[in-house]
Amino acid sequence: MFLPAGSQDETGTLLVNRAKAYETFRYVTEKRNFKQISTPAIEYASTFTNRIAGMNLNEMMKWFNKEGEIEVLRPDWTTAIARAVAKQPIHQQKWSYQGSVFRIDKDGTESRQAGIEIVHANSVLGERECMLTAIDYLKSLHIDKYVIELGHTEIFDILIQSLKLDTTQEDLLRTAMHDKRRDVVYQLVNNTGNSEIANHLTELTEAYGNKDIITKYQDLWSDNDELLQILENLNNMIELIEATTDLEVIVDLGRVKNLPYYDGMMFRGFLKKDGSTCFSGGRYDRLYKYYQQDTTAVGLAFDVDVLASHMTDHKEKKRACIIASEKTHQVAEAFRNELTDYIVEVSYDEQVTSTFDLCYKVMEQDNEYKVVKL
Amino acid sequence: MKPCIALTKGRLEKQFLDFFESLEFDMSSLKDKGRKLQVETDDFLFVFAKGPDVATYVENGIADLGIVGEDILIEHQPDVYNLFPLPFGRCGMAVATKKDFEWPQRKKRIATSFTNIAKEHFMQKGESVDIIKLEGSVELAPILGLADAIVDIVETGTTLKENGLVIEEKFLAISARLIANRSSLKIKKDQLNPVIEAFKEGAKLTC
Repeated sequence: MFLPAGSQDETGTLLVNRAKAYETFRYVTEKRNFKQISTPAIEYASTFTNRIAGMNLNEMMKWFNKEGEIEVLRPDWTTAIARAVAKQPIHQQKWSYQGSVFRIDKDGTESRQAGIEIVHANSVLGERECMLTAIDYLKSLHIDKYVIELGHTEIFDILIQSLKLDTTQEDLLRTAMHDKRRDVVYQLVNNTGNSEIANHLTELTEAYGNKDIITKYQDLWSDNDELLQILENLNNMIELIEATTDLEVIVDLGRVKNLPYYDGMMFRGFLKKDGSTCFSGGRYDRLYKYYQQDTTAVGLAFDVDVLASHMTDHKEKKRACIIASEKTHQVAEAFRNELTDYIVEVSYDEQVTSTFDLCYKVMEQDNEYKVVKL
Repeated sequence: MKPCIALTKGRLEKQFLDFFESLEFDMSSLKDKGRKLQVETDDFLFVFAKGPDVATYVENGIADLGIVGEDILIEHQPDVYNLFPLPFGRCGMAVATKKDFEWPQRKKRIATSFTNIAKEHFMQKGESVDIIKLEGSVELAPILGLADAIVDIVETGTTLKENGLVIEEKFLAISARLIANRSSLKIKKDQLNPVIEAFKEGAKLTC
């Protein structure tokens, strides 16, 4: 039988790596005082499509329930957790989760994530704890060849304030910035009669790279306190990362939010080997306003499928076999406990021994059973 | 590892090679490549593919940069950086019918290879149409009675004319564009920037 596009049966290394990624995540986050949370796989679509969450219904696995309401398979953890955490006691600030999200996109339907959310905490502390948890976790997985990218949603929002764009124009401009489509960025802004801002935003599509970009824009934005504060926050985060690791950090000052609920610093990790994104996240205080909470919220999610496919340190344990019989099976079972560093199989068939690294057999001698190495 | 550039085979390929040569890059090994689908030069690895596949290779990070028609980008919406237009491959989309064709008093039937572009165009006009997907030679559809009209790329209009079709409406001016993989652009900035800057200069962008 065939499977639907995006679904797959799995065995082998990838599955083992994924289990290890989840297990390590639970260990690392528990040690950093995160409390686990889970939300149901099935929710109302409106949780994700409301004006703040702003996700696209077309990309969700959905159906009508018997009351005629649209239900979906969880397309996003952060939004679901905001709904759930908004009802939790305010003293709990740090949450961790792991599980699947479902979206109809080009890479298949189901993907697996592990992530953290830090709510009601001091803003800077929350952002730093997110980043340091990411670094700690990837180090535990022995993944060290990656680049961290920082961005900030408010840069674009501040720069377009004076343009007085309507929602459609703003969406078009944000999409053009997202695609770094410099000719369209220029044209859209220039059409509003602001050639200076048009040039500025066009240049901003190329404001990515090492921290020298920040120095350059500190000069350019020297008369704008809001933008200078953002640059200082980004710079402080870079200094923290550089003080604790030797990872490469880049910034993209022209990056815009890809989901409407982001409203502050954004972070992302690219694996150097193939450029895949291993984690992404950022600040989203706005999301909690939808649940009547004026608070801080920041988080990030790891792509567990990407991590599992890049974990290289997994060593298969050696395999041992104990040849027994119906009569001697209990002796073999007792001996199994002595082979602590092996994967142990009990077999009644001596022919299988060639497929194992080590073989034993339960022998009967003088009315006693002994296990001998073959 | 050398940067990988995916090029669209066919019409755009020759125009790109001329453009690249005008920027003083040595293109001789590409011009004599015969039927090879990948060619390595001192600076780059070039791969040759059909337009939609160029976008797919770039989206998946196999190629760092790609040269592809904007029609492909609008039709297939790949998740790539769509950097800027290049000064070749200029053409447009058009609705064409048989000469002196009288539209029937029913929903129009439109044959095209660009179903998403055609659908969006008629939706913008507030007109419901039935779209018939064809893989190529769409000019045949009105002649043989499969459709009332076609939506297709028009460069000079010669193919339409030779098949007895006339342009009813032109829309969407397009050209070749430079696209980039979303992470390559950042993590290979030092390698990619010189060629991107050369393209930008060659394209004589006004912005």
